[in-house]
Amino acid sequence: MKRELDLSLLVAVGMTIIFGITMIYSAASGSTLWRSQAIYAFLAVAAAVAIVYVPDKLFYDLTYALYAFGLLTLLAVLAFGTGEPARWLSLTPGGSLRIQPSEFAKITTVMALARFLGDRSSEQVVSPRAIIGAVVISMIPIALVSRQPDLGTAVSFGAPLIPMLYWAGMRPLHIFFLVAPLLSVVCSFEPLWQDQAPIVFALYIIVSSVVIQLLLARLWVTLSMLAVNLSAGLVTVYLWANFLLAYQKARVLTLLDPERDPLGTGWNIIQSRIAIGSGGPTGKGFLQGTQTKYEFLPAAHTDFIFSVIGEELGFMGAVFVLALFLFLIWRALYIGTMANSRFASLLAVGLGSILTFHVFVNVGMTIGVMPVTGLPLPFLSYGGSSLMTNALAVGLLLHIYAHRHEY
Amino acid sequence: MDPEILEDWDRRLRGLLVAVCLLFAVLFLRLFHLQITTAADYAKESEDNRIAQRRVKAPRGLIVDRDDEVLARNRASYSISLIRGSTEDDARSVAALEEAIGEPVSYSRRSASVRLKRDVDFQTVALVEERLRGDGFPLHVDIEPQRDYPYGELTAHIIGYMGELREEEAASATGRYLLGDYVGKTGLEKVYEDSLRGVDGVSYVEMDARLRIKDEHPFPDREQAPIPGHDLRLTLDLDIQRAAAQAMPDTLAGSVVAIDARTGAVLAMVSHPSFDPNVFVSYRAQDERRQIVQDSHRPLLNRAVSGLYPPGSTLKLVGAVAALEAGITDTLSTFEACAGSLQVGDVVFRCNNRDGHGELNLLDATASSCNIYFNHLALILGIETWHEYGRRFGFGISTGIDLDPEEQPGLLPDRQYHIEREGWVTGHLMNLVIGQGYMLVTPLQVARYAAALGNGGVLVTPHFYGEAPPTQQIEGVSPETWETVRLGMHRVVYGENGTGRRARVAGIEVAGKSGTAQGPRTNDDAWFVAFAPYDDPQIAVAVVVEDGGGGGATAAPVAGAVIRAYLEDQARRQQAVSAETLQTPEPGS
Repeated sequence: MKRELDLSLLVAVGMTIIFGITMIYSAASGSTLWRSQAIYAFLAVAAAVAIVYVPDKLFYDLTYALYAFGLLTLLAVLAFGTGEPARWLSLTPGGSLRIQPSEFAKITTVMALARFLGDRSSEQVVSPRAIIGAVVISMIPIALVSRQPDLGTAVSFGAPLIPMLYWAGMRPLHIFFLVAPLLSVVCSFEPLWQDQAPIVFALYIIVSSVVIQLLLARLWVTLSMLAVNLSAGLVTVYLWANFLLAYQKARVLTLLDPERDPLGTGWNIIQSRIAIGSGGPTGKGFLQGTQTKYEFLPAAHTDFIFSVIGEELGFMGAVFVLALFLFLIWRALYIGTMANSRFASLLAVGLGSILTFHVFVNVGMTIGVMPVTGLPLPFLSYGGSSLMTNALAVGLLLHIYAHRHEY
Repeated sequence: MDPEILEDWDRRLRGLLVAVCLLFAVLFLRLFHLQITTAADYAKESEDNRIAQRRVKAPRGLIVDRDDEVLARNRASYSISLIRGSTEDDARSVAALEEAIGEPVSYSRRSASVRLKRDVDFQTVALVEERLRGDGFPLHVDIEPQRDYPYGELTAHIIGYMGELREEEAASATGRYLLGDYVGKTGLEKVYEDSLRGVDGVSYVEMDARLRIKDEHPFPDREQAPIPGHDLRLTLDLDIQRAAAQAMPDTLAGSVVAIDARTGAVLAMVSHPSFDPNVFVSYRAQDERRQIVQDSHRPLLNRAVSGLYPPGSTLKLVGAVAALEAGITDTLSTFEACAGSLQVGDVVFRCNNRDGHGELNLLDATASSCNIYFNHLALILGIETWHEYGRRFGFGISTGIDLDPEEQPGLLPDRQYHIEREGWVTGHLMNLVIGQGYMLVTPLQVARYAAALGNGGVLVTPHFYGEAPPTQQIEGVSPETWETVRLGMHRVVYGENGTGRRARVAGIEVAGKSGTAQGPRTNDDAWFVAFAPYDDPQIAVAVVVEDGGGGGATAAPVAGAVIRAYLEDQARRQQAVSAETLQTPEPGS
């Protein structure tokens, strides 16, 4: 049966991948990594297109099985993982071919969430049972991955939850209730605000309570939210002051202020900022980035590929990349509005959310607005597992697009 | 689309897109800030990352003797540095180096590049370059000039040595020096540091994160060539210096100073025992250095300018000049007879001849160095007059030689000095006039005194380098007085009872004065001062041998050897000049 491909999505993804291979050529000049990435890319795109031809119902039916399989591979990593820290599973005895199951598990988790929420109507989604169910589906892989430990990836499992709940029918106000305690933690976190922490926290408590009271005019809701917010903030303050050991605090503080350890943990972020800043409006030119070619920039072809782009192609190149990603995200969400089922629609939005989260966290890390985590930049960073996962996501989006008229 | 699922997705799409755009706006604004607003700052940081400013050390000036014999020069020295990383990485690199060279390495992690080992041999250089660097340790080898003193002990006290700049010195050195720089620490290396040093240049080099050099001259226009330091040609004559050092008794401490009697140019300055200054500039000789510093014979002390001695009978000529000027005696009249001893107050002063010299005139008293004769003179002179003449000869004050601040002024006591201590009695003057008591001089002061006695009272300023400083005529002394004293010193060497007959040198007429000073040591210090030739004094010599016993026996031959070396040197010079004159064709011939 003839299937209609979303050419705009396919072309944009192709452009991004080719752009990525080009920058890997510069970032790891002298090596043949760009060639391996090209081979991965070819396989990945082929897989993505192949997914389009999978029967529509099959994904829905297999969702929970795939989710369970994903969890199994994460368990297997904890048991037999290789690498330092152990995040990979070797497929061959020597470990020459290995995969990072957490990448694939992201997709299966989003699928499970999409099915769980899609099976419920907008009204049912707001019930506590549905919300708890969705949270549990996200929390299991988060717990497994943070044991590796891989905090960045673990958090990325949680990223699609809020947008998908919203898409499934939750009101923004309810979402606010859900994230209010998290905001409370952030606002009371002393290292983030230093001396201003009490003021920021107090301001947050007052403003949130007043807004809730004005919107709902129900005193018991306002008071219980106040209680939850206050305790979340105070527990944060208490834990920071009494529970964390000095070296753990130091690690957190370096995340916030890399200058504290310029030769150690802070090195990456400082050098990345220098690379991007020194790129200026138009960059130093392809293959001309001194931060890159003189090895000041660590992990240039993987986690810090965006810094290479910023240095060699400047503000124009960086904004071009952001524009590409913005298009891809828009396309994913837009496909969500065209889907033939709640499941497919939620799946598209979930995949778009993961993409957004990865782009924001990775680019934010290179320019110093987010802490250093090991999250790769989709389609651009070197790495087969990441590329394959993102291609699978694109394949699913193409699938949803191609099957949009089938009910 | 199924109406059941036709929800308000368009509205929700807008909601999500607003959220996504907000996130992207954060990234966009931050990028704008980095790459547009503050791009210049980061461009600078990026340059600082890869461009290292390097100091091109100016070659230090050479120090040569008056015949251009090189006394201090520069040689290449290799040192091993570490590019600092994390504490653990540094420890690993240092451990690898220690294992490779088989000796411990001490270091402090204060700057980005840590010097681990200085002045290593070629084998270590090869080890680091070939093996350790190959294994990825961030070590590198620097070549830097190191000072070398080819004549070692012979010129140690004059040239001095260099050493690493100390932290407190670096602070006051107004940015011209860096911590770890070598600077002149003693001797002429210190005094002429500024002109020897020159001005360092600047060059740039482009390096990657592992400090591998990518471009040796990324900015040829911004580089500055170093200005080499000035060479110093000293007044010192290495031949005379060598003769003086060899003439000194090996086992005894002491000093020899020879200056040009007309200008004050120092021809030789020996301080014994000496040390090898190369030990102080080398990083390999820590033990030897400690040994030198702790040696009880104090080899580091430059006895010629810092050694303080009672001058003994060499000082009697101050009394002689004063007595002649005061009209107490003249050349030929005899004076109170020497009975071998003299009681002044409660104290009995004894002569070196226990039986007494009998009646003596000034010349014979000088030649035989009769204590009692000079005691009698001093009784009439009084402390004030004697002190005044001592001051005119430059005792009690520094000569101003260019070895500051090592030079000691010595001590010329006056009446007040004694009153402040145990009170004044005339007996003190009896000691002072024969160069004993509290009187302290440096051998250099005594050499200048000898020059002044020989050249009719011209007080020169001893110096090693540069134009001769202005001389000073000793006021209020008649030519006849100078002639009488000179004649007395001639008799010391050539008289029948002269104490300095062993200072005689064939081919040149020598005048001198011996001294045998009672100091803090078990044996007496032997002194001899001399000038030559008698008719036209060109060289003045002072010799002191600690524990040497009689001046005429121990010190006079040393002075003779120095004068002989001078004579030979002059002869060589004459020959060289006449040979040159013969070779030069007459113009027009």
